[in-house]
Amino acid sequence: MKPSSLIICRCEEVTIEQLEQAYQTGSCTSRQLKMKTRASMGACQGRVCRQLVDAWVHDKDPDSPHDAELLSYRPPIRPITFGQLAKGEL
Amino acid sequence: MKPKLQQTDLIIVGAGPAGLSAATAAADNGLSVTVIDEFPEPGGRMLGQFHEEQGHWWVGKRIADELIEKNRAQGVSIRCGVSVYGMLKVDQLWEVSTSHGTWTAPRVLLATGAAEIPMPTCGWTLPGVMSIGAAQVMTNVHYVKPGKRGLIIGVNVLAMAIARELSVSGVMLAGIVLPPGGPLAGKAALPRNNLQVLMGLSHLAPSPILRFGGKIAYALGMAGIVSSLFPRRGIKLWDIPLKLRTAAVSINGTDRVESVTLADVNAKGEIIAGSEREEAVDFVALAGGLYPLAELASVAGCPFIYTPELGGHLPLHSERMQTPVEGLYVAGNITGVESALVAMAQGQLAAASICSDAGVLGEDGDRKVVEAIGEVQRVRASALIQFHPGIPEARRKIYRMWQQTYEAGV
Ligand SMILES: Cc1cc2nc3c(=O)[nH]c(=O)nc-3n(C[C@H](O)[C@H](O)[C@H](O)COP(=O)(O)OP(=O)(O)OC[C@H]3O[C@@H](n4cnc5c(N)ncnc54)[C@H](O)[C@@H]3O)c2cc1C
Ligand code: FES
Repeated sequence: MKPSSLIICRCEEVTIEQLEQAYQTGSCTSRQLKMKTRASMGACQGRVCRQLVDAWVHDKDPDSPHDAELLSYRPPIRPITFGQLAKGEL
Repeated sequence: MKPKLQQTDLIIVGAGPAGLSAATAAADNGLSVTVIDEFPEPGGRMLGQFHEEQGHWWVGKRIADELIEKNRAQGVSIRCGVSVYGMLKVDQLWEVSTSHGTWTAPRVLLATGAAEIPMPTCGWTLPGVMSIGAAQVMTNVHYVKPGKRGLIIGVNVLAMAIARELSVSGVMLAGIVLPPGGPLAGKAALPRNNLQVLMGLSHLAPSPILRFGGKIAYALGMAGIVSSLFPRRGIKLWDIPLKLRTAAVSINGTDRVESVTLADVNAKGEIIAGSEREEAVDFVALAGGLYPLAELASVAGCPFIYTPELGGHLPLHSERMQTPVEGLYVAGNITGVESALVAMAQGQLAAASICSDAGVLGEDGDRKVVEAIGEVQRVRASALIQFHPGIPEARRKIYRMWQQTYEAGV
């Protein structure tokens, strides 16, 4: 198996190769990479892969800022059903 | 239809050592407290921990049971199997949304602990590959062996502590090896760096885990920290081979883990061509380290700071465990990765702060908070398991930053 086909985001099955392609076409921060590839947008909301995507970006550009804004979270932070959502909101 | 809101004085998210300690302390001062945790039983990460300390065993499960008993006696409501998925401030009250309805309270303490960082290796999505913490939970919490013979990829304090637990529980380990070099592992793939991590830890505390370093130094004779002198076949700690000059290249198998391809590496962590061989194992544990699990602090609007010594991005907080967001407090590993005893002391401190802010401590408030701060410092200084040597200094920096930002001119 080529290292480039290593999966980095398990929920969305995003490989290093896909991150590389996105990076080459201008997605340079973890947030841009997320928008482009869906890495860290999956069911676990990045709990598994976020740190990896961040480490990968820093390896590419050691001067990139460790900006928490790029990694902000939005509710729901856990998978929930429409029923549960409705109970809380109606 | 308006949903029924369940109101208390204090909601604590997380029933680990920090959350449970805070809950009894707050209930002791008369607050009504609800603790919410998504795991089926309370105790957090303590449930799976045990280690030898000066001749006797420290068993996390036992400490957790005592705390739970105290909480129950004080009427604290502990709700397990409930996930918090969001929180919002509406008119001075936090509305905490969960998989089982909404709770409200003027104050919320986040004690959500830390999460693991995986160590991706070719083949890491095969069944039989798990995080080191999952191996710990399977073995020590559910009493199920993760496999017959396993391999740990990644060298750090957590990996060493859990390797020891697995071996005590009768799980066979082929060894602890380095991760493959590359952009994801960084320094973790360098033999010298790992040796320095272990050596650096050894003098901090006299615990058996950290005496590892001393044993390595002995194995090296008087040579000092020269990784090329580390024996290629590794050295044995208890009965587990620690191989700092061997890396995992790939995890192999058709439907599940069957073997791992290992190779020798040079001091830069590069594979020495021709040294590849297969090691038959049926499970692999990945140890990439821990980071504070702070999603809810972000959702609540708390600013973050980046502190590598404490595990990365963490919510900005004061030495009293307050965040800049009114009514929002933090304690335990969410404020930085440290041991369970530190988390317990932080929980008590957070409770003192909360009770003082709620006005139930009267004139004693400040004195109790100052005492609790002293206790955290004392426990931290004597902690046997230290995840990073730079923790006290990193903490001082955060509290200075807080003072400059929020207390200047007050
Ligand atoms: C895998 C692992 C192994 C460890 N092993 C050791 C060890 O051997 N020795 C040691 O000293 N330290 C160890 N630690 C460090 C450990 O985190 C601390 O010792 C201590 O348990 C931290 O306490 P805490 O109360 O901050 O968090 P935890 O004990 O982690 O408890 C946090 C709780 O919050 C709950 N939670 C999180 N988010 C939500 C949510 N959104 N909704 C509901 N509930 C939520 C979790 O289910 C969990 O029970 C380990 C940590 C991990 C992650
Ligand atoms: S692993 Fe990437 S979102 Fe879950």
